[in-house]
Amino acid sequence: MPRQKIVIDPVTRIEGHSKISIHLDEQGHVEEAYFHVTQFRGFEKFCEGRPFYEMPSLMARICGICPVSHLIASAKACDSILAVRIPENTARLRRVLNLAQIVQSHALSFFYLSSADFLLGMDSEPSKRNLFGVLEARPEMARDGIRLRQFGQQVIEWLAGERIHPAWIVPGGVNEPLTAERRDRVLAALPDALAIAGRTLDWFKSEMERFREEIRTFANFPSLFMGLVDAEGGLEHYDGKLRVLDAAGHMVHDGFAAEDYATYIAELAHPWTYLKTSYYKPLGYPEGTYRVGPLARLNLIDKCGTKRAGQEWAEFRDLERGAVLSSFYYHYARLIEILFALEKIEELLAAPESLDPNVRAYARANNSEGVGIAEAPRGTLIHHYKVDRDGLITWANLIIATGHNNAAMNRGVLQVARHFVHGNRLEEGMLNRVEAVIRAFDPCLSCSTHADGRLALEIELRDHAGDVVDVLR
Amino acid sequence: MLRVLIVGYGNPLRGDDGFGWRAAERLRSAIVDPDVEVLALHQLTPELMEPLSRAERAIFIDAAWTAAAVCRTGSAFTHHLTPSALIGGARSLYGRAAEATLLTTPGENFDFGEHLSPAVENALEEIVERVQKILRRPPPSHA
Repeated sequence: MPRQKIVIDPVTRIEGHSKISIHLDEQGHVEEAYFHVTQFRGFEKFCEGRPFYEMPSLMARICGICPVSHLIASAKACDSILAVRIPENTARLRRVLNLAQIVQSHALSFFYLSSADFLLGMDSEPSKRNLFGVLEARPEMARDGIRLRQFGQQVIEWLAGERIHPAWIVPGGVNEPLTAERRDRVLAALPDALAIAGRTLDWFKSEMERFREEIRTFANFPSLFMGLVDAEGGLEHYDGKLRVLDAAGHMVHDGFAAEDYATYIAELAHPWTYLKTSYYKPLGYPEGTYRVGPLARLNLIDKCGTKRAGQEWAEFRDLERGAVLSSFYYHYARLIEILFALEKIEELLAAPESLDPNVRAYARANNSEGVGIAEAPRGTLIHHYKVDRDGLITWANLIIATGHNNAAMNRGVLQVARHFVHGNRLEEGMLNRVEAVIRAFDPCLSCSTHADGRLALEIELRDHAGDVVDVLR
Repeated sequence: MLRVLIVGYGNPLRGDDGFGWRAAERLRSAIVDPDVEVLALHQLTPELMEPLSRAERAIFIDAAWTAAAVCRTGSAFTHHLTPSALIGGARSLYGRAAEATLLTTPGENFDFGEHLSPAVENALEEIVERVQKILRRPPPSHA
């Protein structure tokens, strides 16, 4: 048979626009597979010339799912330009907001985008394999998903005024202290959310055995893992240092500071996608391929930091002697992080200091550049800005979680395609698994495609017969 | 029980697509009634099923590509939900749903921009009155 190409376009139930191409050889075996991100954003360029204090609000527009993470990373970069130490309670409130965002985004990924694969099966009827199929088959689970996402969004709204693109987080702090009435609303809604998180985790753990083949083949390979940890090596989403771990669970780097990221992280562009690939610079590419996000964070830490999530984390770590390598377990890790986030929100807001009215530090631009790092739901998010003497942005660089995961996602697509796809008997369920490995990473493509330097663009000039006569790169 | 839920949706940065969103913003300041909740949204999302199950009546406001687009039905995409899909979902999940009305106006320009075309601008002027007329109707006998 001739060489063939299978194209899955668009990849469904993810955030953003992409396609997958699978190349088959003459025997119908998978030779190569690529994950192409087909949309393009230009935030780094069009923010040039804007005053730095506009950056949090401007950068939050990158995404409708995780605007809070961009707000936080951006505000932290601006704090650094101001050269201020923000009030203690500000960090607490920003942290609560980020955790609420993690709850709503993880709930969206698990319940809205992926639960149909678990509940209805990878080979189920495609027209039913979506949230509405879940709604028919397991209405109580659909209600739980809606409730949990609603909780995260409500906390964001109660704290920051808006569910999407709130203007509450500003350089130097937040623009309004928390009121007792709003704090109590959050605390009152927590028990219900905790109950949902607990029963969903129990259910998922009881179902995992059915997905043995997917666990074995979904981006299950050795790689590095990277993410923030706190000063004691605990789970951290707002601050701390970036730790790098290898597949055996050995420390590669026990923490570099945000401002040193360029020493350890490099990016490269591919001609077949707008999504750049990040790698651990000291090891080069592809040896320096690493993963970020919930799976990486739970692999990296020495402890979780809250009671129930800590117990779940201990069970999770029992899956492997070294790092947990299968990307199918991103889903599992996501549920543990929801539990952690809910417990942590409770702990942070129960402290009387959460109502401290001192929530903002004021200054003018005192540094010519600043770096801000936070853990977005999907992984480490880096914002780096340079300003001129008037505080106008002259240069910006964003490294987004999905870019950190790009190499691993592509390798995962190839692994799944090689295992499940056979060119001489193509079935829809095979292709759904190729999409599902991407879903496990929960990529956010609208966040992650940015221009910094050369465009990852290739133009092919073809004649009337379709033969390539020239290629421009 | 919430008496009326008003949902105006669309992207105010995409010309006439912002009709619903802008209408909701106007209605929010024009209607002072604790039993009426007004939401200005960029898109419809599954979380709306829950408040729709608690409301007696719902009013959706949207711009349409053409008048025929008003009749489009459900979608399986979480980013492209329709009022009918949400109402159906609310019934399935919570056992009841608001009696819903969809108000649309045909849009002319959905390109980047914050301005409405003249016909849509006129429709925006009328929308407060239209909605208030609906609000004066007696409550639905069942939902």
